[in-house]
Amino acid sequence: MATTGQRRRAFSAVGLTATLALVLASCAETENIDGGGSDGEDGGGSISVGTTDVVTSLDPAGSYDNGSFSVQNQVYPFLMNTPYGSPDVEPDIAESAEFTEPTEYTVTLKEGLTFANGNELTSSDVKFTFDRQLEIADPNGPSSLLYNLESVEAPDDLTVVFTLASEDDQTFPQILSSPVGPIVDEDVFSPTELTSSEDIVEGNAFAGQYAITDYTENELIRYQAFEDYNGLLEAPETDVVTAQYFTEETQLKLAVQEGDIDLAYRNLSPTDLGDLREDENVTVHDGPGGEIRYITFDFNSQPFGADTEDADEEQALAVRQAAANLLDREALSEEIYQGTYTPLYSYVPEGLTGAVEPLLEMYGDGEGGPDAEAAAAALEEAGVETPVELNLQYSPDHYGNSSDEEYAMIESQLEADGLFDVNLQSTLWDTYNAERVEGVYPAYQLGWFPDYSDADNYLSPFFQEDNFLANGYSNTEVQETILEQTSTADEAERTALIEEAQEMVAEDLSTLPYLQGAQVAVSANDITGVTLDASFKFRYASLTR
Amino acid sequence: MTIAEQTAPTAAAGKSSGGGGLGRYILVRFLLIIPTVFILVTLVFFLMRVVGDPISASVGGRLTPDQLAARLAEAGYDRPVMVQYFEYIGQIFTGDFGRTLTDNREISEILVTYGTGTLELVFFSLVVALAVGIPLGRFAAYRRDQIPDAALRIFAILCYATPVFFAALLLKLVFSVWLGWFPLGGRASTQTQLVLDRISGSTGINIIDALRTGRWDLISDVLSHAVLPAVALGLLTAGVFLRLVRTNLIGTLSMDYVDAARSRGVREGRLLRKHAYKPALIPIITVMGMQIALMLGGAILTETAFGWRGLGFQLAQYLGARDFVAVQGIVALLAVIVALTNFAVDVIAALIDPRVRY
Repeated sequence: MATTGQRRRAFSAVGLTATLALVLASCAETENIDGGGSDGEDGGGSISVGTTDVVTSLDPAGSYDNGSFSVQNQVYPFLMNTPYGSPDVEPDIAESAEFTEPTEYTVTLKEGLTFANGNELTSSDVKFTFDRQLEIADPNGPSSLLYNLESVEAPDDLTVVFTLASEDDQTFPQILSSPVGPIVDEDVFSPTELTSSEDIVEGNAFAGQYAITDYTENELIRYQAFEDYNGLLEAPETDVVTAQYFTEETQLKLAVQEGDIDLAYRNLSPTDLGDLREDENVTVHDGPGGEIRYITFDFNSQPFGADTEDADEEQALAVRQAAANLLDREALSEEIYQGTYTPLYSYVPEGLTGAVEPLLEMYGDGEGGPDAEAAAAALEEAGVETPVELNLQYSPDHYGNSSDEEYAMIESQLEADGLFDVNLQSTLWDTYNAERVEGVYPAYQLGWFPDYSDADNYLSPFFQEDNFLANGYSNTEVQETILEQTSTADEAERTALIEEAQEMVAEDLSTLPYLQGAQVAVSANDITGVTLDASFKFRYASLTR
Repeated sequence: MTIAEQTAPTAAAGKSSGGGGLGRYILVRFLLIIPTVFILVTLVFFLMRVVGDPISASVGGRLTPDQLAARLAEAGYDRPVMVQYFEYIGQIFTGDFGRTLTDNREISEILVTYGTGTLELVFFSLVVALAVGIPLGRFAAYRRDQIPDAALRIFAILCYATPVFFAALLLKLVFSVWLGWFPLGGRASTQTQLVLDRISGSTGINIIDALRTGRWDLISDVLSHAVLPAVALGLLTAGVFLRLVRTNLIGTLSMDYVDAARSRGVREGRLLRKHAYKPALIPIITVMGMQIALMLGGAILTETAFGWRGLGFQLAQYLGARDFVAVQGIVALLAVIVALTNFAVDVIAALIDPRVRY
């Protein structure tokens, strides 16, 4: 008969064996896991996308970030939207959209529109959508984009009339395609407060190219093609797309490299992208991005600025011109960002209607490179003694990990020929943002991501009266030109005004743009339809295998 | 007076005061939880307001100063800090931890959704810590002052001296990237997570939900994702347990009762396993409370390194976004967990060893 000790040893052995079996089994590859949607299986008609985006809300009234808008673009209908390959908007679920009066923008919906839950999509839902945006006015939401909207009326089931404060606002159609534009189901969303993502998914309140069948916030989203989508864009090429959210860029990179996902989009580091470009198993896709990086000059505190002891407008301009002549954008693009940011010689980035490159022509060697002689000449002509002492500030925590290297390189470029003596300093964002508007920084780093794909979004917020820069720059002629283009209906005329505004600002150099962020996606070699255009919307519906 | 007469009154005195002593001890320990949590929440509240606000962090670079001021005023962030503080404390006492500022979610929902992830990670890590630390500590004591003992002591030091995020990165590099034995991160693969999320009555603890399905593919997927994070975090504590068991075992081996047993002819191995081993484990219980607190702290780094979406991971995300409501809520919960855990450990220790009560 076994003793107590022998029984204990036997149990211990069994326990150890079981544990060992579990650990060994955990090393085995898992197979035959069906994670399919309501149809049970995804089979081969599905694509998996990976991203490091962060989604804050599915409710359009409660979010104003890239991660959330990226999801909303796939599942909500818009009155106006950009077709593939174009930055210019056209009616999406609208049959027509036009100014019927100078301050009235009338949209006629297509007939027979529905949400994925079967509810009809009528003008009532449209009115509800914009009324609730203004009613809720969430601090994290995009309601500020409706600054020009006075009221919304729905005289019949298909007609929506927007009454605007200012006449012929040419940016309003673009705003309808922006984060404030997704149309929501009035039977699912609350009119007075934000609706939870769970309620939205459960209510199946979608009418875009896809509906969401499974949703775990910031972990995974399963999209299923919405068969009754009746918008500008075509029906999805792939029925099911699964979006997986990664916490680290490295994990995203390895996942696409190992084939765990079919496509990776935002964000991959320059180093990882450089490695992926060498990998024959994946394809790297590039396209123009909307983000821009620029140096802002504070007209009051910069060298020879209005509040300095030796204030002199001409000399202050000469200092800005010299900096513009010395900047080597190609070097920044290649050495720091390995092409994930491209040289920018304009205030309106490449790809948008009206974008020109006045900085390329007016400064540097005329081909995009620096010109130290031109910089020295500008300073000498204005009687500025060199080296010019310049305090240059940047934020190490707000614009990515490469800001340190980026501004170290800018410092060396400005000092290369002895024309500047740069005092480079960094400040964490919260303090940085408060101090920059107080004129503490003579020259400093900023970045910008557009609200919508229109040139005005790169002009009005920067150079109009009471702009967010608050850098002391004011040019009435520039302001009038920018204001005029916002209400010019004729496309050619408006484009000419936009170009003129850019050239005027390039002469004044309130800011010095130097880099434009590129959109980059990495896919398996058998994935096609990756569209990275100047709409800056990455839509899954065009993806196919 | 005989020895029995001398000892009897002492025993009687001890018996009559033991119940009241234990009760008072438990009550005091429990009440200490309140000021502990209160002080921590207060510290976090004020520290978070020093680093900025979520509105400035997200849109400060695209609003005019007046617009930013208007948004801050609308959100109430421009009010005196003490006003905000007392308002928050008042809400806490009514059980209202508020909603996150950046993604508008109930704090209680955050705690429940992600707390299970951290609970699962800490459980796995504790298993690793106990499975590694105790047997190795015992072996080291058995081979005292020999080469295995020296090697194990060095191993223990390496375990608790190595930063957990470094250990995590190293494990990922070797076992995920180079060898491909384990996944890079996450709690489960996409497909597995989809299945587990759809289970009726899902607990949020993946291993439990996987076991409920009875599907070996899901169970192994969940376990494979847990191995590296559990090892990274568990080894941190395993080193402590190893040293503790070794030291205590060596100590009990030198006790008089062990000498007595040895003199009666009990073999050394039996002495180690039966007479000295169990008493040596008692301090493990008292240390465990502190180690769980350290594990929760280490879980933040481990979860971030492995993309293990638990409270620690979320805490790091909200910190980056300056979402002080979320940070306060999560820290408050973690403080309560640590305080309750230590309370439970103190009670168990008092039950095991009456000397602790006095």
